[in-house]
Amino acid sequence: MKRVAPPGVERSRWRDLDRLLLRSGNLVGPGFEPGEEVKEILHDMLHVLVIGAGGLGCELLKDLALTGFKKIDVIDMDTIDVSNLNRQFLFRMKDVGKSKATVAAERVMQRVHGVSVTPHFCRIEDKPPEFYQAFHIIVLGLDSVEARSWINGVVCGFLEYEDDGSVKQETIKPMVDGGTEGFKGHSRVIIPSVTPCFQCTMWLFPPQTKFPLCTLAETPRSAAHCIEWAHLIQWGQVRGAEVFDADVPEHMKWIYEQAVARAELFNIPGVTLQHTQGVVKNIIPAIPSTNAIVAASCALETLKMATMCSTGMSNYMMYMGAAGIYTHTVAYEKDPECIVCSAGVPVAIEESTTLEELMQQLCAQFPEKLATPSVSFQGCNLYMRGIFEEETRPNLAKRIIDLMEGATSGVLIVNDKKLHGPLRIQLSINAAQAMQT
Amino acid sequence: MIKLFSVKFYCYCADKCVFLYAYDRDALLTLQEKQKEDAAVANGTAKAKQSPGELRLQKDISELNLARTTSIRFPNGKDKLLQFEVSISPDEGYHKGGSFVFSFDVSPSYPHEAPKVKCMTKVYHPNIDLDGNVCLNILREDWKPVLSINSIIYGLQFLFMDPNPDDPLNRDAADVLQKDPRTFAANVRRSMQGGVVGGVHFPSCI
Amino acid sequence: MEDKSKRYDRQIRIWGEHGQTQLENTQVCLLNCGPTGNETLKNLVLGGIASFTAVDAATVEPADLGTNFMLDADNLGQTKAKCVCGHLKELNESVNGSFVDEKPETLIESNPSFFTSFTLIIATQMGEASLLKLDELCRQSNIPLIIARSYGLMGYLRVCSDELCVVETKPDNKVEDLRLGAPWPELEKYVMEFDMNSLDDKTYKHVPWAIILMQAARKWKDEHGGNLPSSYKERNELKAQIRSIRRSLDEENFDEALSNAHWIWALPTIGSEVRTVLESPKTEVHSSSSDFWVLAAALKNFYAATGDMPLEGSVPDMTSTTEFYLEIQRLYREKADADIAAVTVQLKETLNEIGRPSDAISPEDIKVFCKNARNLQVVWNTKFSEECEGSAAVGAELTRLMGLEDSSANAALYVLLRAADRFNATHGRFPGFFDSELDEDASRLKAVAMQILADQGVANVSVPDDLVAEMCRFGAAELHCVAAIMGGAAAQEAIKIITRQFVPLDSPLIFNAMSSNTTLIKI
Repeated sequence: MKRVAPPGVERSRWRDLDRLLLRSGNLVGPGFEPGEEVKEILHDMLHVLVIGAGGLGCELLKDLALTGFKKIDVIDMDTIDVSNLNRQFLFRMKDVGKSKATVAAERVMQRVHGVSVTPHFCRIEDKPPEFYQAFHIIVLGLDSVEARSWINGVVCGFLEYEDDGSVKQETIKPMVDGGTEGFKGHSRVIIPSVTPCFQCTMWLFPPQTKFPLCTLAETPRSAAHCIEWAHLIQWGQVRGAEVFDADVPEHMKWIYEQAVARAELFNIPGVTLQHTQGVVKNIIPAIPSTNAIVAASCALETLKMATMCSTGMSNYMMYMGAAGIYTHTVAYEKDPECIVCSAGVPVAIEESTTLEELMQQLCAQFPEKLATPSVSFQGCNLYMRGIFEEETRPNLAKRIIDLMEGATSGVLIVNDKKLHGPLRIQLSINAAQAMQT
Repeated sequence: MIKLFSVKFYCYCADKCVFLYAYDRDALLTLQEKQKEDAAVANGTAKAKQSPGELRLQKDISELNLARTTSIRFPNGKDKLLQFEVSISPDEGYHKGGSFVFSFDVSPSYPHEAPKVKCMTKVYHPNIDLDGNVCLNILREDWKPVLSINSIIYGLQFLFMDPNPDDPLNRDAADVLQKDPRTFAANVRRSMQGGVVGGVHFPSCI
Repeated sequence: MEDKSKRYDRQIRIWGEHGQTQLENTQVCLLNCGPTGNETLKNLVLGGIASFTAVDAATVEPADLGTNFMLDADNLGQTKAKCVCGHLKELNESVNGSFVDEKPETLIESNPSFFTSFTLIIATQMGEASLLKLDELCRQSNIPLIIARSYGLMGYLRVCSDELCVVETKPDNKVEDLRLGAPWPELEKYVMEFDMNSLDDKTYKHVPWAIILMQAARKWKDEHGGNLPSSYKERNELKAQIRSIRRSLDEENFDEALSNAHWIWALPTIGSEVRTVLESPKTEVHSSSSDFWVLAAALKNFYAATGDMPLEGSVPDMTSTTEFYLEIQRLYREKADADIAAVTVQLKETLNEIGRPSDAISPEDIKVFCKNARNLQVVWNTKFSEECEGSAAVGAELTRLMGLEDSSANAALYVLLRAADRFNATHGRFPGFFDSELDEDASRLKAVAMQILADQGVANVSVPDDLVAEMCRFGAAELHCVAAIMGGAAAQEAIKIITRQFVPLDSPLIFNAMSSNTTLIKI
């Protein structure tokens, strides 16, 4: 429950933050105007979403609340586990089993009066794009590539374009992202269409180590090989029909025991329950201090973005604390052909244009890129070569506007053997004719 | 009277700054109202967002170059590409005449991650175990985002042309192939006809 | 107990049970309970230290509620140290907390012995004068001190300790010590008796690359007067020889051998850090030398006798049959054990010489020391007085940093922070305290900063007016986010010092929250 500030406290409470917000400065963002207005915007108008109420999420909620953001939502599908308590400081032993989002929201509101934190105890995929659209800034405290990639797709999908192909600036939804592993971490600012999105820099995420199955089956050499054998091969052979769930203790114990037996057979040392869990769940070691650093850096960039009270990070910061302290800031560049965030090529057609005519027009316009295109719109394959050619051929004679269910603009995805990746076409349909008829 | 002012978001991209939002206060308040309405209205009605994996699969699938011995089936239709089945009917090698179905399960972050491939047909083969696990390097340790569905299908075809007994998943089959290729050939034929090999029954796949 | 290992699972994966035990024996003293201090302590309480004592004389005022998560509206008017202590204890029921309702500055003056009962002191938001005394005090009692400071959009962090000896430095890119070019007799014998030619094709594919390379190196040495290939051309020739014994192109072990061939001639060197340890006069040990230095003395003797470091004994994974790999692993482990035994003999002699029992250092400690011998590091931090009282080293470093594009702003911030402290000492308030005097304060602050530069012997450089104005604008604000970053970094340093793992800071650090970067002031 939101708590109200005691009378008289509210004004003096933000004394330290007010030094930045009420005083003009030389090293500030463009257009920064110190004063009550910027405070009102920060405190009363901006609505931020924190995705994840785990190690980073708990820190982010605290940091944002003490940075003057008063309308915060948080979404997380997880419940609290004992192993969270070493860093997710909003949770106590008695909270184990409860929703992270709910408990975190409650604790922050208890401590910081005047802030309202609305929890959402669900998967991020359960919320429609409109839900995400409603926030001014989205701050990510996630630990998986998949979740980042999903929200990245949603947020980049908000982008709309003017007729001249430039982005409509009000459709840009900024994101701030953080991640940690042990003593290392990163924070980054993602402004879709301006700075690189996750897809542009997918190579930043190292692929997970995967052992060859035949090594596991025939020539195991390490404890990890024995564990993965139990997990990937033996489970299927012995308990085939059952779906393995790493969160079911009995399942994990079974894998562990199988791995121990295998290790004994081959005389391999080092299989422990802790190691088994680490390998099977791909556990990333985590400590509170690194989360604190990264989350605070993210919250600070969120503040700068919201108020322009200081110069901003450009656009990726790496923190390495294992040997001394070393930081590295890089301005990564967008992939101009990114399949998720690139503007695509603007193309205008008439209302009467059919799919076949459009394809001819595109081949004529981009002879070096297109010869045998396939076209899709919002996940629907309009025309596809290969095995779906026959099925999609009838669409060739149809008008684009009908295939797009009446929309007069949108992004078409075009594939062609000549292209390395999909080409995005920003289509606008000239509706002049429609008005005349 | 409400005083109008603007909320500005900027961001930094090298030295250039980009102006992002210019809401006036009314617009902000309207947006908040709209959010409430949207939350009430929206219940999964929005168009599903395409994942990078799906976008890339559209390319892979439209450019598939299937040999006569291979076919592909999308049980969920042309717009749901993430799960599909590839059927291989080798026209040479030990498994000639059989038909082997592989299930492909592609992640939304494909090609960052390799597809999960399993053999749905019980097969007597040194590199495929009886649960359908396939030992093919590009499915695990040697996967690279430049590879494609086509590369994997080639890889699977190659497994039937040239089974590798040196790094087996089914050691019994591998041992037989290594020591006595003729017995191996006979075993493969028996298994494909729905017989029993080494105490294991193989449903017919001819 | 089971809950404890579950609770700390994610961190035990980083510093092990022994690191956790060190943490659980640690008694921390925090000076000043602002957000910087509380955030530091929060991270340590969560990690499971034994106890903390929070020192602060202030009472909770409204402005605290805008920056400090360890206080809430119900605490207004109460003792800050007490309230913070209560909230921190909620984070971990196994941690004991107490508080002292006094000004740290007073305590340093009136009761210096107070500090000697702690394992670690964390001083936050304190000025030069008290820190100078505290540093002396801590060094006398051999208690590490961490200084953390948040000031507007900048921060300062420093470790104070005469020496921090780290065995488990856990470097990111460790060079494998395989001795491929010069195997010891047992390994040499195994490799020479290993008959690759007689193997069937399947087994041939599973010969570990270490064996392929050692056989190739042996053959090369036999044909070249005992020398390893030294030129690019010779190295390529050796690789061609390896290629020539392939039986087919799908032998992954040969691919691995070729891509690891450089380990034959790229021998792991003895880094400058280890050299510094071995050459340190501290290896002339006596009865009160620490275990680290006694071990280092034994290591030095071992090195003098053998010309090499103890073998670490681990073997990276490689394509191989289980049997071959385990055999190689065994040979490496046995050599490592033999080296540990040899060091132990040296150590017992050394212990005898200095009049300590020969079992004074546990076998486990000897083992860990030997396995990490190549990566040992001792971190020295200069006295705080040397940093403050003007020395040639500081002047030279500031001159260097202010001349570099990447670090000039942060070096200026460093000078300005010290100038702000002197300003405070003179005026009884920090620059920018009053809105009405921002411009005047800027001129005054700049003058102080220029004086500091002059005192340090830094000529021909100035602090940029933009930064001077920003420092005044900050008005010594302690922003929560900056405090959380400095507190996080301070806690990381504390953990490194306590667990004696990873490498602590060896010089003062400036964090610039405007550009999100850091600079070390190497002095």
